[in-house]
Amino acid sequence: MAEKRKPTIPVLPWPAVPTPTPDEVYKGESDKAKEYPLYLESILRQSENFKKPEALSTIRVLDCSTNMIIGHWCSSLLSELGAEVIMVEPPGGDPLRKLTPFGRQEYMFEDNVTHEKVGARFLAECRSKQAITLNLESAEGREVLKKLAVQADVLIENAPPGDFDAKGIGYRQLSQINPRLVYCWVGQLGQWGPLKDKPGNLDPTAQAACGFVHGTGAPSSFGGTPTRSGWWMCDQVGGTTAAIGIMAALHYRERVSGRGQFVESTGAAGVIRILDYNWGWYGVDGSIRPRYGNWDLAINIYAVNPCKDGQIMVGGGHDRLWYRIWRTVGKDLPAVEQHIVEDPNLREVTARLPHYKQVQTYTSMCEWMKDNTRSEAETKLQAEEVASGGVSFIDEVCEFPHYKYRGHMEVVDDTLYGSVLIGASAFIGHRTPGRVKWIGRPTGYDNEDVYRRLLGFTKADMDGLKKKGVI
Amino acid sequence: MAAERMGFEEYCRDTFDPKKIFSKPECLKGYRVISATQYILGPSCANYLAELGAEVIKVELPRRGEPMRHTTPFNEPKLYPLSRWMPNMGTGLGFFGANHNEYFLSVDFHKPEGVEIMKMLAAKSDVQVENYRAGTFDRWGIGYRQLSQINPRLIYQWLGGFGGWGPGRKRASYDILGQAQGGCFSVTGWPVKRGGLPSKHTIWIMDYWGGLMAAFQIIACLYWRDNISGLGNFMEYSQVQGAQRHLSDCIALYGKYGLTAQRWGNWDVLLSVHGIIKCGKSSYPNSRNPQELEEGFILISAYTDEDFAKLCQVVNKPDLARKYARHPDRVKAEAQEEIYPALEGWAKDKTKEQVWEIMQKAGINSQPVWNNKEVSTNEHFLMRGDVHWIDDPNFGDVFSQGLPYKMSETPARHKWVFKPVGADNEYLLGKLCGFSKSKIAQLEADGII
Repeated sequence: MAEKRKPTIPVLPWPAVPTPTPDEVYKGESDKAKEYPLYLESILRQSENFKKPEALSTIRVLDCSTNMIIGHWCSSLLSELGAEVIMVEPPGGDPLRKLTPFGRQEYMFEDNVTHEKVGARFLAECRSKQAITLNLESAEGREVLKKLAVQADVLIENAPPGDFDAKGIGYRQLSQINPRLVYCWVGQLGQWGPLKDKPGNLDPTAQAACGFVHGTGAPSSFGGTPTRSGWWMCDQVGGTTAAIGIMAALHYRERVSGRGQFVESTGAAGVIRILDYNWGWYGVDGSIRPRYGNWDLAINIYAVNPCKDGQIMVGGGHDRLWYRIWRTVGKDLPAVEQHIVEDPNLREVTARLPHYKQVQTYTSMCEWMKDNTRSEAETKLQAEEVASGGVSFIDEVCEFPHYKYRGHMEVVDDTLYGSVLIGASAFIGHRTPGRVKWIGRPTGYDNEDVYRRLLGFTKADMDGLKKKGVI
Repeated sequence: MAAERMGFEEYCRDTFDPKKIFSKPECLKGYRVISATQYILGPSCANYLAELGAEVIKVELPRRGEPMRHTTPFNEPKLYPLSRWMPNMGTGLGFFGANHNEYFLSVDFHKPEGVEIMKMLAAKSDVQVENYRAGTFDRWGIGYRQLSQINPRLIYQWLGGFGGWGPGRKRASYDILGQAQGGCFSVTGWPVKRGGLPSKHTIWIMDYWGGLMAAFQIIACLYWRDNISGLGNFMEYSQVQGAQRHLSDCIALYGKYGLTAQRWGNWDVLLSVHGIIKCGKSSYPNSRNPQELEEGFILISAYTDEDFAKLCQVVNKPDLARKYARHPDRVKAEAQEEIYPALEGWAKDKTKEQVWEIMQKAGINSQPVWNNKEVSTNEHFLMRGDVHWIDDPNFGDVFSQGLPYKMSETPARHKWVFKPVGADNEYLLGKLCGFSKSKIAQLEADGII
């Protein structure tokens, strides 16, 4: 049944359209104009990455998190900068491995050794990590974890609050046997406090709790409802703040204290931290930030609006851009330009912010945009150096010449999984750039290597543990 | 030790107690960061380092300061004064959240004397964060190439939209453009057939989160410099690339199967039931605020077979329990289209609090969708310091976002929200450049600071 639904359209290998060459990109530029970009290319091009050192090559991380992306995202950032990351999964693997959009097995990935299927969400955050299995429900498994923890710099976990502590493998116990350990708990709302996490809490719990969902989407009067992010966004933000906490703790350990510490990061606090001026505004006058759809409460023009073939973003908060935008519009529709630029109530940047002024602005703008496609509008606006760009879908993103040229996505030609296209490391740098070495590992693939290398287990030891269900 | 005998929750409360933060040391004490940044992407990046104790010097253009000071919702709330020269103007709340704990210096680096000041600062700094158009600082003689000659240990972080090289290098970018052209819009919001459009995240997320990514990278570079190599570094963070890093799994599905991920509204593509439903009644029917008159929404999360069975019992839908007892059946699009409307039908005469209570009693995970007033007054977030009041030396009592992560030994902290333009000119120029009072007065008269 499932096989039948798979479309028979052939999938072109990426990129479907060839990536531009440097000659094409810099054609017609003067030597002076292309000197700086070419200098940047010479120090930043990812093709040179493997000739350069890694910032975190001395760090070993145990990622004991399961089910959520938050912990895996955090350890991905560490692994991109060179940390040795070992994913410690329960026997049978992290349940997240089995998740695929709408349960569609035919869109999963498979390695050529175990032929175990893995979903894209998990595989994308398994980059350059090793995968071992360990049953932390068994006393023997916990003893093994302790032996690993002694040799680790960082441990990440997201078990229900207090679970690891009750099992004797929490921060209080592990810091006794390895005082240098940086121990990080990640989750949705916290491991303490009246709303502390319950077993099974996953993103978008934090999105709903922190005010993000309430503020996203169109206002009710425009037919909108509170809206969640399309991805598990709180996990990604909370995972990034966890990585900052871990990195800061490692740095402090090396430079000052010689000791690790206990770090906690949550998706809710992470997103609260970055939720613009919501809190300041509430503090000033008790305001509740309303939803404002694809417009912005604090900047006009700064919005996404419909055009002939989709939606397009146009941005120009200050005067210089404001008049350029209307000049562009005026080339096609002089009356619209006149209506706006001759309105004395729109002359001041701040005077354009009230809601009815935004309605007036965007209504006029859409008069022009309804006859322009995304690329027509973009071309006309960019000729005036106005920031603009169409709302792009994933296929358009993956084929966007600028992104392809800069390596925002890359094909990892993996020994186990074959060629897989993924979002590349966003850490572009001169001396210690981020990189992806392999795409991922099937469940327990590195048991042999890790247990032998770190704990000296023999084949007999491992067979015995396997029989008992410990690994 | 007492800590070992405490219950775990009590131990955590004690360890992460926000009241004890100021009795603990700072992680990045002794590091100096120059932040020649504007809007959110660059400023927030430096700000995260300031929260950890680095001395961050924010350099703005004299008098009016950076554009974000003039950005505020509907042009209403502002904090006064903008600067000592402009007491009748205020700073908008757009500036909030990306400038905590910083020192404020005003320098016009279009002028040669301003460039000299920037060089003097860079010579004694560890990090420079900058988000002018790529190559601008290089042209002015204060880019990575020149400053690394003066200070080889300098870590130079450039942030921006499309990056300094490649076919789109000249394009301007903002957060919302990163969200739109990076692909985030295309997977957020309801599908067309349910009346939805590609949607923006309410936060300037590609800015604020991009700043987080870059701040992480900077601390890793400091680690590498101070413990391993002794060398500075140059990093480029592109906002649109951040979006691709976010959507890595969608990109993998496109690469292998040619799939283009679409929007699925408030439901989840991987798990079911794990979605946000509408409750029919407002929690505050007598409120005068239209935000509060709206119906409530709540996340219901019952994706395990056991929880789903319980949920069906609670909402009295035994047929759904039988039909969708297995997750692979339940997670299919058609199944979700049947299950969620049934749940909303059940909730149509209830408030979100009533649904929440019923779910809690039944042992089913759920989470009401809270607005920022509900978050701001919630005991949980206040106790943890996720949001907090700051007694600000310039602006009095200010309510602010708290710290995103907790640390037991060297917690991040907030000292003040921000300061007026050029508030620390005398202090910084005296301390770092050795300028006399009369020299500073002269620079000010010349419009250089």
